[in-house]
Amino acid sequence: MTKTSAPALGVATVADRQHTATALTRRARASRRDRSQSWHRNRSNEARKGIAWRTLIAVIVSLIVIFPLYWMCVVAFSPRGEVFEPGLHLWPSTFTFENFRNVLDQYPVVTWFGNSVVIGVFVTVLTVTVNLLAGYAFAQLRFRGRNTVFLLGLATMMIPVQAIMVAQFKLVVGVGIFGTYWGVILPAAAAAFGIFLARQFFIGIPGEIIEAARIDGAGHIRIFLQVVLPLCKPLLAVLTLLTLLGSWNDFAWPLTALKNNDLFTLPIGMLYLKNQTAPDYNSIMALALISVLPMVILFLIFQRYFVQGFTRTGIR
Amino acid sequence: MKFSKKRSAALIGMALAPALTLSGCSGFGGGSGSGGGDSGSLTFTTWASKSEETSFTELVKKFESEHKGVTVKLNVVPYQQMFSNIDAQLSSADAPDIFRVDYGNLGVYSSQNQLLDLSTYFDKDEIATFNPAMWQAISYDGKPYGVPHQTDVSALLVNTDLLTQAGISVDSLPKTQNDAWTWDRFSGVAAKLRASLPNDKYPFVYNWQQAGAPRWLSWLFQAGGNLIASDGKTPAIDSAEGAKALDFTKSFFEKNWVPPTSSVKSPTYADSLFSEGTAAMGFLGSFLVPDLASLAKFNWTAIPLPTDKRAATDLGGNALVVTKATKNPKLAATFLKFMVQADSMSTFCAATNELPTRTDLSGDKIAYQVRKDVMPVFVGQAATIQPSDVKQLTSPAMSAINTALQDQLDAAFISGQSTGNTLTNLTSAVKEASR
Amino acid sequence: MSIMTVHGPDANASGPRTTRRDVRLTESLVGWGFISPNLILMVIFLFLPILWAIQLSLQETKGFGTPEWVGWSNYVKLVTDPVFWQSMGNTIVFTLVTVPIDLAAGLGLAVLFNSALPARGIFRTIIVLPMVISGVASGMIAMIIFYQSNGLINKILVAMGLSPISWQSQGVPAMISVIVVAIWLRVGFNMIIYLAGLQSISPELYEAARIDGASRWQQFRRLTVLLVGPSTFFLLVMNVIASFQVFDLIFVMTGGGPGNSTSVLVTYAYRNGFQIREQGYGAAIGIVILIITLVFTFIQWKTSRTRDLVE
Repeated sequence: MTKTSAPALGVATVADRQHTATALTRRARASRRDRSQSWHRNRSNEARKGIAWRTLIAVIVSLIVIFPLYWMCVVAFSPRGEVFEPGLHLWPSTFTFENFRNVLDQYPVVTWFGNSVVIGVFVTVLTVTVNLLAGYAFAQLRFRGRNTVFLLGLATMMIPVQAIMVAQFKLVVGVGIFGTYWGVILPAAAAAFGIFLARQFFIGIPGEIIEAARIDGAGHIRIFLQVVLPLCKPLLAVLTLLTLLGSWNDFAWPLTALKNNDLFTLPIGMLYLKNQTAPDYNSIMALALISVLPMVILFLIFQRYFVQGFTRTGIR
Repeated sequence: MKFSKKRSAALIGMALAPALTLSGCSGFGGGSGSGGGDSGSLTFTTWASKSEETSFTELVKKFESEHKGVTVKLNVVPYQQMFSNIDAQLSSADAPDIFRVDYGNLGVYSSQNQLLDLSTYFDKDEIATFNPAMWQAISYDGKPYGVPHQTDVSALLVNTDLLTQAGISVDSLPKTQNDAWTWDRFSGVAAKLRASLPNDKYPFVYNWQQAGAPRWLSWLFQAGGNLIASDGKTPAIDSAEGAKALDFTKSFFEKNWVPPTSSVKSPTYADSLFSEGTAAMGFLGSFLVPDLASLAKFNWTAIPLPTDKRAATDLGGNALVVTKATKNPKLAATFLKFMVQADSMSTFCAATNELPTRTDLSGDKIAYQVRKDVMPVFVGQAATIQPSDVKQLTSPAMSAINTALQDQLDAAFISGQSTGNTLTNLTSAVKEASR
Repeated sequence: MSIMTVHGPDANASGPRTTRRDVRLTESLVGWGFISPNLILMVIFLFLPILWAIQLSLQETKGFGTPEWVGWSNYVKLVTDPVFWQSMGNTIVFTLVTVPIDLAAGLGLAVLFNSALPARGIFRTIIVLPMVISGVASGMIAMIIFYQSNGLINKILVAMGLSPISWQSQGVPAMISVIVVAIWLRVGFNMIIYLAGLQSISPELYEAARIDGASRWQQFRRLTVLLVGPSTFFLLVMNVIASFQVFDLIFVMTGGGPGNSTSVLVTYAYRNGFQIREQGYGAAIGIVILIITLVFTFIQWKTSRTRDLVE
């Protein structure tokens, strides 16, 4: 994405603005440089000390934050029962894959993983599609009732699923999709979050581009598909990643809407392991690692888009 | 942009293809409840431990091979979701043909007219092969609404290593009901253990966590008390016996005899605390024996529960029931009969360390595969269940009372609610529930 | 970041006068067509259940069999139910503790990572990473760390000669354990929002302050805190909502216990609706949650209209 392309996501806008701001600053600074330079030199020693201190704090904080994830790995690779044995072990006494073998042998983990993928992909494709369409309409089309509908969506955006869970559950049972993938996918796709993200993005698209296409005789659908969509790849990336993450980690609703072991997603699978008589925490951590890893990898690859998305929507 | 449309489409395709194959694409279909009315198929929903699941699978296979053309779909779900699932499926006429239910929950379904009356499928002689108390447990208004598939009771499991360290000789431990400890003797042992154990270990742990709250009633029964009077409605817990049982059990927490994390609403079950060595003794059901045998890294044995006015234990175990809406009532009843015939029951109990409900399998007729030595204690303990206990434990009000027991006992043990208030609250909860 | 403002662009339909009405009509049709897939999903799976929940809250139902109309009695029960009020109180306590800590820690970390540091990117990544971990996985990890009888923290405390803490048997430590994990999950989010806010502040201002002889602390208090105000407002809203809805962590870690000391409104609604066959009562608690959420959304919307959010 180049700086000059559609001033799209807020982050980009912020960056652009900052750009202008720094340009102004630079000019101002140049005029004062002489005055402040010696002052800077006096402080450079102190600055170095400051960096050292700050680095130390950063290291400590990072260690604290990363530790739970490290501990998950330690438990996942330790021999069974070692975590709760007396005595402090901060790393596995012997490094073992036994827990992974156990959990894969005894439980349909591969199926659960597959279910998470299938549900995640369907939720994502469906949600992103309908959100893009709606977001575009709210941003670039004028029609009667637009603001009313938009406000209605806004108002319900923050409602926690538990507030209407009983009724939603009865509904899903009533329409016959209880205990199927659809029972999880469709209610998840009804969320309004993405609409606002999409709308915000589309507002940034200059009306002239659309107008020009219209004068060329293009219909609304063609404009959307051929003119607008190619401009919104960053939006697509953000929306896709966030929706996938939300679906992958979703717990309360799938717990309620799925009934069969062979359709469970990974979070429900973890709960299933925990509720076994004599729960095996090593296996649970092995499964936790399996379930966390795909999102961690995606995060590390597409970090920029995740961060943009978080910044925009305040997910979580 | 880092990834093109084509590449992301390919990525999605790559991710989806194996996933769809793995999950068999079955998840998009409609409700799979009643097996689509196919005359030769049944669905059977249950929760199960590992050894139970293995046995269920084997028995289902055997049934299918004996009845050509019949398929039984076994669906194992987590216990926590079991009944909210079943409730939902019942309300949407999508229930499985057969499901497993504990004796406490069975009353809710039979009293709400959700289960198939099995009267016509069992004659007098067949009924007579079951332990009368267990047959009573599946009956409502004099009609059977299921078959008693297995039972299990709690006994006291002891970590003999820790007891020996505390100077309690293993030879002095009771072996049969006749020499069971009294409450006083039990208190003496607990106090002795408390004195010898380090702070982070505890004399014992009791299995009243979560839905296990009614196991507290064993203390009430031992004290000679009752929860509900013999008319099946009037609360009887606010009594001298009730106060005695509650005071005694409250004192476990006050005296630090049980781990503070082992109260009624704790998410940690008693068996974990015993098997990891935090508690020296554990009140545990026989169904945990296979797990303990593989997990516990110490020597342990089983002894009878302590007694006061009388001996008593909890009524564990489960029934198998047929839903009223099943399209194959006859086949479902045949399956139930198969599951409780002597050889099936014997196989199941032997593999899972559970107790049979048939009188012809009583005593030592089951060839338990694991820790055969401790099983006679459980068998002996099961004989302490009296018909009046069964009647209370299987009352249709029991599932609502269970909730009240969890709340009230936890308040008494953890939040310092007085014995008087707790009994008063329980009394009104029983009244409310049996309305 | 004004996701809460409603003012679309002026679609400049400046065609020839004669066809203007037709253009408008088509645009209306197209507009409704574009929003209809999302709208239909929302009507069926959101608006309909809200109405249904109101109906359910006036009934008593076990989940199967015929429900019974009971009028307002579920709401009457709410008012007199100590566990409901305790859950309400716990929700408030949880929110009041987590939100300020989240904000303060987020801002502190943002300032730290906005300054010159080696390997800044790696540090930032680490702090943000917990955000992609599911509530269930976090809860499971936390359970083994806070496990009372011989979990990691208590083992460390004992090894240091201190006494272990009753994470699972006493209300206050149990609440603290949940709060700690919630903050762990969320602090990264606070940090990146504040980072975005900090980066839009002109360095010039700091330079001016420095020349005026302001100490670092004064710069922070007088400049930074003031200038990230819009971010703070946005984060306040987001954190309150997230705290109000905390479910997965509590469900996995404490189940609302010990006693009811970590029971919050959403877990209590779930318990009634799905664990103890009190669906009508569960729905009534849900309606209370719904009303609180709507009131909060409304206040926030009113405020954000008069106040530009982060951007």
